[in-house]
Amino acid sequence: MPLTLEAKNKSPRRSVRSGRKGLTGFLFLLPFLVLFVVVFLIPIIVSIRSALFAQVASGGGLYGGGELVDQFVGLDNLVAAATNGAFWKGMGRVALFGLVQIPLMIGSGLFLALLLDSFIVRRVAFFRLAFFLPYAVPGVIAAMMWAYLYTPQLSPFLEYLPDGTNFMAPNVIILSMANMTTWTFTGYNMLIFLAALQAIPRELYEAAAMDGATGFQVATRIKIPLMRGAALLAILLSIIGTVQLFNEPVIMQSVNQWMGNDYTPMMLAYNSLMGQVTPSGSGPASAISLLMAIIAGALAAIYAFAQRQKGE
Amino acid sequence: MGRFAQSKMAMACAVFGSGALLLTGCGAGDGSDGDAVTIDYLHRLPDGEGMTPVADIVAKWNADHPDIQVEATKFDGDASELALKLETDVNAGTGPCLAQVGYGEVPDLYVKGLLQDVRSEADRYKDNYSAGAYSLMNVGNTVVGLPQDTGPLVYYYNETAFEQLGVEVPTTMDELSEIAATAAAQEQYAAAFTPDEAQYWLSGQAAAAGDNWFTPNGEEWIVDTGGAGTQVVASFWQELIDDDEVLVQDRWGDGFTQALTDGSLIGHVGAAWEAGFLLDPLDGTDAEGQWRVAQLPAFGETGMTGPDGGSGVAVMKDCEYTEEAMAFNDWFNTQVDDLATQGLVVAATGAPETPEKMTRQFGGQDVFEEMNIANAALSPDFVYVPGFASLSAMNSTAAEAGDGSVPVSDIFDTARSTSVEALDNLGIAVADS
Amino acid sequence: MTLSATTTTKKPRPRRGKAGPGFPPPSIGPSPIARTLGVLVLVGACLYFLLPVFWLVVASTKNNADLASTFGLWFADFNLDQNYDSLMRWTQGLFWRWVANSVLYSGVAGVLGTLLAVMAGYGIAKFEFPGKKVFVGAIMGGLLLPVALLTVPLYIEFDALGLTNTMWAIIIPSAASPFGVFLGIVFAKTAVPTEIIEAARIDGASEARIFFTIVLRLLGPAMVTIFLFIFVATWNNFLLPLLMVSSPELKPVTLGLYGMMSYFSPDKGAVMLGALLGIVPLVVLFFTLQRYWRSGLAAGAVKG
Repeated sequence: MPLTLEAKNKSPRRSVRSGRKGLTGFLFLLPFLVLFVVVFLIPIIVSIRSALFAQVASGGGLYGGGELVDQFVGLDNLVAAATNGAFWKGMGRVALFGLVQIPLMIGSGLFLALLLDSFIVRRVAFFRLAFFLPYAVPGVIAAMMWAYLYTPQLSPFLEYLPDGTNFMAPNVIILSMANMTTWTFTGYNMLIFLAALQAIPRELYEAAAMDGATGFQVATRIKIPLMRGAALLAILLSIIGTVQLFNEPVIMQSVNQWMGNDYTPMMLAYNSLMGQVTPSGSGPASAISLLMAIIAGALAAIYAFAQRQKGE
Repeated sequence: MGRFAQSKMAMACAVFGSGALLLTGCGAGDGSDGDAVTIDYLHRLPDGEGMTPVADIVAKWNADHPDIQVEATKFDGDASELALKLETDVNAGTGPCLAQVGYGEVPDLYVKGLLQDVRSEADRYKDNYSAGAYSLMNVGNTVVGLPQDTGPLVYYYNETAFEQLGVEVPTTMDELSEIAATAAAQEQYAAAFTPDEAQYWLSGQAAAAGDNWFTPNGEEWIVDTGGAGTQVVASFWQELIDDDEVLVQDRWGDGFTQALTDGSLIGHVGAAWEAGFLLDPLDGTDAEGQWRVAQLPAFGETGMTGPDGGSGVAVMKDCEYTEEAMAFNDWFNTQVDDLATQGLVVAATGAPETPEKMTRQFGGQDVFEEMNIANAALSPDFVYVPGFASLSAMNSTAAEAGDGSVPVSDIFDTARSTSVEALDNLGIAVADS
Repeated sequence: MTLSATTTTKKPRPRRGKAGPGFPPPSIGPSPIARTLGVLVLVGACLYFLLPVFWLVVASTKNNADLASTFGLWFADFNLDQNYDSLMRWTQGLFWRWVANSVLYSGVAGVLGTLLAVMAGYGIAKFEFPGKKVFVGAIMGGLLLPVALLTVPLYIEFDALGLTNTMWAIIIPSAASPFGVFLGIVFAKTAVPTEIIEAARIDGASEARIFFTIVLRLLGPAMVTIFLFIFVATWNNFLLPLLMVSSPELKPVTLGLYGMMSYFSPDKGAVMLGALLGIVPLVVLFFTLQRYWRSGLAAGAVKG
C-alpha cells in the first residue's frame, strides 16, 4: 500500500510546496529539539569536555594541598580506558551476554505479540499487562527479589531443578543475568511490536483471507515484514542497552563480591565516578562512557547497515 | 501555519518561564530573615521506625536558638552517592554547611577541597568525644568537624548456644579459634567471614592487631599492609576457612540472615553499630534475648580494637558561619540519648541509656556500657588515606579467599596495590617500600 | 495547544460495526489445535512473568525473619498490617504523598514527552528539510551515552538554572525521550498514509490541524506505548530525583523506598509492600488506556 501512495505523490504541486513544508517538518521537530539540547546535548558536551581532564591534587604533601584541580590531559583518559584490560574483559562479558540474550528476548517478544494479535485469546488486556508488569518493578525491589530467588539456601526453585544447580556460579551467572533482563524487558519489547501490529490495516488481512491464506501465513508474510522497522529499532536499543549493562550485574555483585567493581564497562564507569575504582573522577568515568558510546554506536551502525543490505 | 509556530513558541516559553519564576522564587528565600543565620545540614541517618527523627532533634535546637536556625535534610542515597552530591554541590558553590561523612571518606573529601579546617573551634569541644573518634575527623594537622558515631569492632555471641557447647566468651583470637572448632563439630559457626564488608572490617582488624597501614613520612605516604598484626589477622581467618569452621557469607546477603535465624550462626565479629539491628530477625523467635555483646577477642597483646565504619559531621567549604555551625555540630552530637535511638553508637563520651529494644534483644545487657569500653579502646593511630574508597577492591579478593581459591593474605596485597595506585592517580607521593 | 491535543486523542475511537477488533475474517482465525497450543504458550509465559511478582506479593506480607526462613512462594505469618504500619512510620507518613508525587511527575512527563516525541517523529518521517539526517544522528547519539553519567552534568545545569529541588527538575529531563522519537518515526511511517495528509491539505486544513485531528488519532497505539514507557521509566528512576530534589515533600516514591533500603537491615517486607502499592496506579492506568490501544487504521478510521 505505501508503494502506491508514493507513486501518487509525485505531482508537480509537491515541489512548489516543499520549501514551506520543509519548515513545517522542522517546526514539528523543534519543541523536542529544544528539550533535547537542554537534557542531552549540553550534558553530553560537558561529559566530552571532562573526558579530556584528569583530577589531580594541586599542591604536594600528604593531602595534596587540600584541593583537586582539573588538569588537561588530552586523550590520555581515553587511551587509558582503551588499554584497560578490565574494560575489555567487561566488554567481552556483555558481548557474550548480548549474543544469548538479545535474540531470546526479541524473539519471545515478537512471538508473544503475534500470539496476542492472532485472536487466540479474548483477554488480551490481561496478558499484555502480565507480560509488561516486570518492567514496572523498580530496580531496588528487583534487586531484593533476584538476590532471594537466586541465593542457593533460599531459592524456592532449586528443589525442582537438578542437584548442584547454582544460579550464582561464575560460569552460570551471565545466564542468570540474561534471565533477569529477559524477564524485565520482554514485555517492553512486546509492546513495541504490538503497537506496530496495530498499524497494519485490517483490510490487508481481509484481502489475504480472500486469497485463502492461513493465520500462519498472514503472520509470516504480512505481519513480520511490516514490523521490520519496529524490530530494527528494538534490536538497536537492546544492543545499546547491553553495552551499558548495569542494573543486573550490580544486583548480582552485591551478593557475589567476586564479580568486583568492574564486571561490566558501565560498572567500571560508574564506580570510577563514585571513587570506588582508581583512577577516579569525572574525567576517567566520562572517557570510559565515551568509549562505550563509540562501540555501541559502531555496533548499532553495523547492524542497521547489514539489515539495509539484506533488505535490498 | 504562522499561528501554529507562535503557539508552539508560547508553549516552550510557558515551560521555561515557570522555571524562571521558580529561579527568582528560590533566590529570595535565603538569608533575608533579619539577623538569623541559616545552617544547612545534610545527613543520611535512617530516621526509621521508633527512632527520634533528626528533624525533631533539630527542632529543639531551633527553638532555643532563634538566631542560628538549622535546616536538616535527609539524603536517600548511600555514602558514595552522598560524596558525589557534595562534590558537585560544593564545586557549584551551593554545598551545605554541615554534612555527614564516613571516616574513611574524610581524607578523600579533604583532598577534593570540599572541607574546611575548623581546628580552632573543634578544639573547644574536643573533650566531649572519645580520642579515637576525634582523631578520625583529623586530616594531618587539620580538623574538619566532629565525630558522630563509631564502629569499634566487637564480638557478638549467642550465650545460650555457648553454654550448651560448654564454652566461655573468648578473650583472644586463639580462644575464638578453639570455640569455632568446637562449634563446627555441632554444625554451628562461632564467626562469619563477610567478603562484602572486607574493606573496613579487615582494615579495622589490622588496626586492632596494632598495625597502621598508612604512615606519613614527611611529604609522602608509606603504605604497608603486610605488617605483623595484619599477618596475624590473615592467618586467623585462613585457618578457619581451611578447616571449614567459619560461615562464609556476605554480611548483607540473605544467607547471613538465614544462618542467624536457623541458629547455625552463634558468634560474629562485627562493628558496634550492628547492635542496632543485627538481632532484628530474631524478634519473636525462641532465640530472642539469647545474644550478648563482648569486647573484640584480642589479636595479640595490643588491648585495642579497630574502627569499622562510623561517621562524623564535617564543615563544608562554603560554610560562612563556621562558629555557629560548630556550636550546633557539638550540641547535636552530644544529644546522646536521641542519637542512640537512631541505632548509633555515639562518639561523644558518656554512655547513653541503652534503648529498650536493645535491652530486650540482648537479654537485659547494658549494651552501650560495653560499647563505651570498646569506644575507649579504639586504636588512636590508624588513619585512612585519600582514595581509600577504591579499596573496596579488597571485597572481591575476599570473596575469592572465602571460597578458597586464593589465600587470605592476597586481600591485603590488593589493599596495598590499590591504595598505592589510587594515591598515584591523585598525584600524591608514595614512598617506595 | 497541549489541551486540545489530549482532548483530541481522548475522543473515543469510531466503532466499526459488528466486525470490530477481536473478530477476524473467519479463514485466518486459528484452528483448534493452534488455539490450544497458543493458549498453553501464553499461560506458560504468564507463569514465567508473574511468578516472581507473586513472590513479591508473598514477601510483602512477611517479616524479615520469615523471609529468610520460610518457603518463598507461600505465605507464613500474615504480617501485612505490621508491614503497612512500618512503611508508614519509616516514611514519616509521607508514603501516599510520595505516590501522588510520582503519579504527577510520571503523568506530566509522560503526556509532555509523548506529544513532543510523536510530533518530532511525524516531522522527521513525513517531511523533508535540510539537516534532517544530522538531527536524527544527534538524537541517536543521545541514546548512546549512559544516562547515569549524564545525570551529574544535568544536575549542575539545572542548579545553574535554579530548577533543582522543584518538580521540573524531574519532569523536564524525564520528558525528553529520544527512544520515543524513534518509535514515533517508525510508527508514523507505517501508520500515517501520506494520502490522507494530502487529502486534508487539499481540503484546506492547516498542518497543525492535520496533526492534531488526524495524525494523533492514527498514532494512538504508538502514543499509548510511548506514554507507558516514559511513565514507567520516570516512576522507576531514582538517580535523577536523588540528586535533583531534597525536600521530603517533593520526593517520588521510588526514591523514598531507596532511602529505606540504603540503611542497613531494612524492613524488607515493608519496602516490598511499598513497591507493590506503587504498582497499583500503573495497573489502573494500564486498563484505563485500554480503549486507546486499538485505534488508528486498525480500528477502521480510514477507508482503504
